Amino acid sequence: MTPALRLRRLVLAAALIAAPAAAFGQAASPAAMRETMAIGDEPGRVSTEEVIITEGPFARQLVYFRSSERPGTLVIHTSERFLYLVLGNNRALRYGIGVGRDGFTWSGLVQISRKAEWPDWTPPPEMIQRQPYLPRFMAGGPGNPMGSRALYLGSTVYRIHGTNQPETIGHAVSSGCFRLANGDVIDLYSRVPVGTKVVIRHAAAL
Amino acid sequence: MPIRTVTCLALAALTLGGCATAPPVAQAPAPQAVRAAYPVTALVGSWGVASYREDRDRPRTEAMARQHCRLPYVIAKGPSDGVMMHVADDAKLYELTLKGSADGKTYLGFDAPPGHPQDREIIQLTENLMVMRFVAPDVHARYGTFVYVRCPGGAPATAAAR
Repeated sequence: MTPALRLRRLVLAAALIAAPAAAFGQAASPAAMRETMAIGDEPGRVSTEEVIITEGPFARQLVYFRSSERPGTLVIHTSERFLYLVLGNNRALRYGIGVGRDGFTWSGLVQISRKAEWPDWTPPPEMIQRQPYLPRFMAGGPGNPMGSRALYLGSTVYRIHGTNQPETIGHAVSSGCFRLANGDVIDLYSRVPVGTKVVIRHAAAL
Repeated sequence: MPIRTVTCLALAALTLGGCATAPPVAQAPAPQAVRAAYPVTALVGSWGVASYREDRDRPRTEAMARQHCRLPYVIAKGPSDGVMMHVADDAKLYELTLKGSADGKTYLGFDAPPGHPQDREIIQLTENLMVMRFVAPDVHARYGTFVYVRCPGGAPATAAAR
């Protein structure tokens, strides 16, 4: 039996070479701009569309949330690993998210510029170098690291998207994108239109 | 007498194995190997590679594969009668070869019966386009169907598909 005949468990990809993108007038680094999709992941791994976080703090839930933002605004607290959909009357719908690793977090003010169901994925060149067996382009689908839905953030390379790794919700694993479980991002996708204001806060705010 | 003991005795009468030995499991015969429909050299060259799951995505997947000739997948002739390529989830190169089967299908993989779980099935192969899928259902589910589009100037077109 050749070594290749062993069934190999995919491992989390090593860090991608990228810098946090900037928004709201702050230029992203060339490395970040080169990236088509800034996540470390397990391409090809399948997570079903129905996966949602059902227990614990990262489960989707209605919470008390004081904010001066208008209802419909998305507020992301990267330090807390939460995304809030402001509902008004000091209430918000809170989702657990995965965020950028140290050095890959960012803050800013953007708008949702585009929405996509089962978005395509283009592995960055650094990932192709490590995993040369990957296709250079993967049409959207269950094994796609972008998951079931994507909300594109302004003109940055970053997105709010689903994932085929729901166990990474609540962790700092990406290179700047915000990931939700597939079922949760489908729910969010249905609630917010293009043009929605998105506030990304790096430090926790009370 | 327990049923299991009866069963074991019956099996022992039929085989030389004891009760500790699992009875032989009937296995479907491996597909008979025949000459592959294509010469292995048809795979050699530089290819843009992309994958899709739904047939409706195939045209744009082909277009994206063509665009990704800037990051081509290069297939070289191997030292024996094969080509140097990757298998799923393994960054090492291996020499793989084309294998025909009696049912008319063509597989790409190690020196094992055609249709081995680590094989790819060649769905289409022309001079400038290859379409293949992994035989293992779980691997196919993860990666989808691969489209290879030959990159300009990246191929010896000496062995056209038949």
